Amino acid sequence: MAAKSTPASTEAREALRSAMVRLGEGDSAALEQIYSATRVKLFGICFRILGDQKEAEDALQDVYVNLWQRAGRYDPERASPISWLATFARNRAIDRLRTGKVRGGAVAVEEAAPLPDAAPLADQMMIDGERAARVHTCLEQLDDPARSNIRAAFFDGSTYAQLAESADVPLGTMKSWIRRGMLKLRTCLEAGE
Amino acid sequence: MSDETEIERGDAMIAAEYALGLLLEGEELLMARGRMATDADFAADVTQWEKRLAPLLDEVAPMVPSAEVWARIEDRVEAQRAAQAEAELSGGGGAAANVVMLEHRVRRWQWTAALTSTAAAVLFGFIAITGNRTPVIVPVNNPPEQIAEADPLVAQVPIGETGLRLDVTYIPESERMLVGAIGLTADGVHDHELWLVPADGSALQSLGVVAPGEVRSMELPENVTRNMGEGVQLVLTREPIGGKPEGVDAGPVVAEGAFSQV
Repeated sequence: MAAKSTPASTEAREALRSAMVRLGEGDSAALEQIYSATRVKLFGICFRILGDQKEAEDALQDVYVNLWQRAGRYDPERASPISWLATFARNRAIDRLRTGKVRGGAVAVEEAAPLPDAAPLADQMMIDGERAARVHTCLEQLDDPARSNIRAAFFDGSTYAQLAESADVPLGTMKSWIRRGMLKLRTCLEAGE
Repeated sequence: MSDETEIERGDAMIAAEYALGLLLEGEELLMARGRMATDADFAADVTQWEKRLAPLLDEVAPMVPSAEVWARIEDRVEAQRAAQAEAELSGGGGAAANVVMLEHRVRRWQWTAALTSTAAAVLFGFIAITGNRTPVIVPVNNPPEQIAEADPLVAQVPIGETGLRLDVTYIPESERMLVGAIGLTADGVHDHELWLVPADGSALQSLGVVAPGEVRSMELPENVTRNMGEGVQLVLTREPIGGKPEGVDAGPVVAEGAFSQV
């Protein structure tokens, strides 16, 4: 897929990385640059987890305000800026989901996230470039029910209890499925590290 | 396949569950967040999982947020910047807004705490923890007058990113402190202990174990009230039931806040 690092994507990533560093050094103007480069991806993530336009927009605000406050925590040596930001956004959205302001569970995949405007997708592809990451392969290699439940936990922010309920199994069973799956996932990932 | 035995759940698994977002019970989440701050190995495990899983987020369909979002972000950033600037100008009062400084203080405190656990244990003696975990305060007969301003001091101690918080109010006239822990639930395994961090850098003082889901009022002894003031910090640690045992270092800091004058 679009996994290769083209010169354009490398450039976009480096621009983002340098904006993150500048923000960490106190340059507030860098925030707008980061926002325009990443809002489409991060909003997609917030919406996927929260399943509600308004909640997702509130979460998105929190993400960037928090980012402004804590940009110093980003270590450019250790993480790809877009992965770091995506994880940051997902964690904020999950926090919001857990504080009980929103309904549990998220959008069904079919109804998820129509893209009203296709243009930003191109920008976003430039900074992604991680579609060939090993985790995709490793996750696909897992057997169900582990795979589908780990996916639901990750993408929908489902809890053990919700997953157990929808699979109609005891909580302990669900925990075992997921924990075994995570162990296998780790073994597979470590084989490629 | 439908094996019901729980597989062993070591730290590595807890880190994986935390990264996946599965640690939702209040207490479990608190513990994990506390460890993120104080346990480098655990934090490294979580970060590694987050890094491994992050590429999956590429599968999420991108979406364009509405145009107002940026304006609202700008407003909030601007408001906070103004508040910070004001706090810096007024001198010293900006501690709560200054996250870097706060973190610095907490780190220093953790270091101090390790060195002075004996001193802390002695201080701990003035608030005895009874079997039912109600802080019993030794009454003070001669109310001191260390705090000139009679306005109450309030502090909010947000618990991680959970949206929950402790509300602490101190009323100088009465030497009484209210600690509200609405929304928190007990897990039956841990207690949380609130500590005052004296501005002079002396050993921290226990304000007792927090009663989850309740608002408690307590009278404070003079050796605590004299340290009360604007900007004074509070930290919350996770401890075994009954609070920090004597002769042991305090548990991980899971939350922090600072007093400000109303």
